[in-house]
Amino acid sequence: MADAATHTHDHHEKKSFFVRWFMSTNHKDIGILYLFTAAVVGFVSVAFTVYMRMELADPGVQYMCLEGARLFADPGAECTPNGHLWNVMITYHGVLMMFFVVIPALFGGFGNYFMPLHIGAPDMAFPRMNNLSYWMYVAGTSLGIASLLAPGGNDQLGSGVGWVLYPPLSTTEGGFSMDLAIFAVHLSGASSILGAINMITTFLNMRAPGMTLFKVPLFPWSIFVTAWLILLSLPVLAGGITMLLTDRNFGTTFFDPAGGGDPVLYQHILWFFGHPEVYMIILPGFGIISHVISKFSNKPLFGYLPMVWALIAIGFLGFVVWAHHMYTVGMSISQQSYFMLATMVIAVPTGVKVFSWIATMWGGSIEFKTPMLWAFGFLFLFTVGGVTGIVLSQAPIDRAYHDTYYVVAHFHYVMSLGAVFCIFAGIYYWIGKMSGRQYPEWAGKLHFWTMFVGANLTFFPQHFLGRQGMPRRYIDYPEAFAYWNKLSSYGAFLSFASFLFFIGVVFYTLKWGKRVSEENYWGGEAETLEWTLPTPPPEHTFETLPKQEDWDKQPAH
Amino acid sequence: MPLKWEELTSGAPDETGAPCVRADGRPCLRLTLWPHRSLPRKGFAAFILITYAMFLLPLMAFLGTAALWGMLPFMLATLALVWFFLQRSYADGALREVLTLKDDRVELVRLEPRGKRLGWEANPHWVRVEILPEGGPVENYVTLRGNRRTVEIGAFLSPEERARLYLELRRALG
Repeated sequence: MADAATHTHDHHEKKSFFVRWFMSTNHKDIGILYLFTAAVVGFVSVAFTVYMRMELADPGVQYMCLEGARLFADPGAECTPNGHLWNVMITYHGVLMMFFVVIPALFGGFGNYFMPLHIGAPDMAFPRMNNLSYWMYVAGTSLGIASLLAPGGNDQLGSGVGWVLYPPLSTTEGGFSMDLAIFAVHLSGASSILGAINMITTFLNMRAPGMTLFKVPLFPWSIFVTAWLILLSLPVLAGGITMLLTDRNFGTTFFDPAGGGDPVLYQHILWFFGHPEVYMIILPGFGIISHVISKFSNKPLFGYLPMVWALIAIGFLGFVVWAHHMYTVGMSISQQSYFMLATMVIAVPTGVKVFSWIATMWGGSIEFKTPMLWAFGFLFLFTVGGVTGIVLSQAPIDRAYHDTYYVVAHFHYVMSLGAVFCIFAGIYYWIGKMSGRQYPEWAGKLHFWTMFVGANLTFFPQHFLGRQGMPRRYIDYPEAFAYWNKLSSYGAFLSFASFLFFIGVVFYTLKWGKRVSEENYWGGEAETLEWTLPTPPPEHTFETLPKQEDWDKQPAH
Repeated sequence: MPLKWEELTSGAPDETGAPCVRADGRPCLRLTLWPHRSLPRKGFAAFILITYAMFLLPLMAFLGTAALWGMLPFMLATLALVWFFLQRSYADGALREVLTLKDDRVELVRLEPRGKRLGWEANPHWVRVEILPEGGPVENYVTLRGNRRTVEIGAFLSPEERARLYLELRRALG
């Protein structure tokens, strides 16, 4: 029998650095690991974009030369354009951002740290599997970087096939860099599936007593829907890229017309995964933004139930619209009409969310603290990206815009300005809770405004370039596109400067930031459970179940 | 609240066929306690079914092609994995504490996940139910003292549930 322990055994020994961070099974520590790793990979990926924008700042090729890549333009020296290097840059920027930066940060980082806290669970359902997911993600990232440095096509290093890995480009790319890239995606996929199963089990089976599904806060809901999307779509991608691998190495012809295959089949598979993927990127962001807006409007969230159903509806619709990425591959008129209509339907649940956020702020006492600024920026810019999305969803208009900078501008507005703003909102919202130290408010605001101006300056002119007909994925362009490209590059440099400043802010905060010890340091109602915990939270939380009145602020629901 | 009181219908000497009754005329009782799990079995079935149905969506397009064999294993493996881990999560919560109250004996059995079984018994007359609101391993720590041992009961419940458990135990044993 379990003998009673009448004195507490709270003296958990202090773990060594290695044990705490390398063998971690604690959901908070793993969340922090995810955030830091994603930041490092994000830095690499952003550095690529800066190099690309340097190259695109002026017509002609000044930096990516066959004679050797340069960091400083040298008009005196010979420069033969090195298209492969350019292709490698766009490919790895895409692969890293899609698989190794945004999802690990939002889903792996904030999801791991705050989802169990919000539902009152002591940890994830399978803590050791959580550790496995993290290290598989690290291994996948390493394979991705290895692929960048391994012999690839054109007798150079790396693969330049685009992040979508379309055959026949990907099946004919030389070297083994492409195979490493496929393994990297496999591994990150396996890591995501295990992570998703963990999140799903935790969400379904470890909610606090009384917390029925429609009483769960929006952030865990968004993580759950994201996890389900991962579970449903990553096996499809795994199947697709496995066939790609056998086409490359074992002579199968799944995607090779010479052997009866079909390269368009790969595009269908890729986008059946790829469209849900963009929702996996943005949905956890929706969850964070909901809490931030409610907190800094000092009002409970407007329309909780429609918000949850909108998340579910967006998740579901994400699976039935994939071919709007490929209107130009020769689908029938009825197929195109279907995908066009289905795509426009997504505007309905998204509209429910945007209007609910606005209604939350309506009549609230709004405080423009840094997280709220990011949420505001997100709301405005994500809507801009959504509007250009409606434009692009029109199959006939897409004939003109397909593979132009208009598309680049669109998806960077929803992802770079949407998802990345959510990450920053989350960091400023929770860094005090996670570290016990608060960032200097002026620095957060400066970071926001420089990033806001920089990102808009980068991507807004790209709409004009797209409308003028500038195609994407090229190293060079005619004189006529020079003006907006120059501006766009200035924007990218400003954004990069603000990113460097942000790294400084984080390190300053962690080392010298003002200590916070209040549980609910933003004030207002503690709507979610993390605000009832000490700051920073102890290693183990909710070993005893939380009380219902701690989290159930609107029992009428 | 994840606990259940039952009256014992068997347990009296077989030949009498009478219901089990304690010395003061009250029926014998059995109390079963288990930790809270938020997913009902129907929810598990619904989750697996929806996941399965959603997998059919892309698979339909591959019927009759070789590519089906490229996709199917991954989907089936994922479905099997999520099934296994949800079941495993139920098994991790399969802890039971069963308290049986009879005329001359109170017996507490703790069945831990994956087979371990712990037991304690005492004479009900001497058993003391105690609650430690603060300072125990959990808030409102409920213990039973008797037969020269003190054992915990319901440590996995929520604090309010333990407060109610304490009152109910007092009533049943008092």
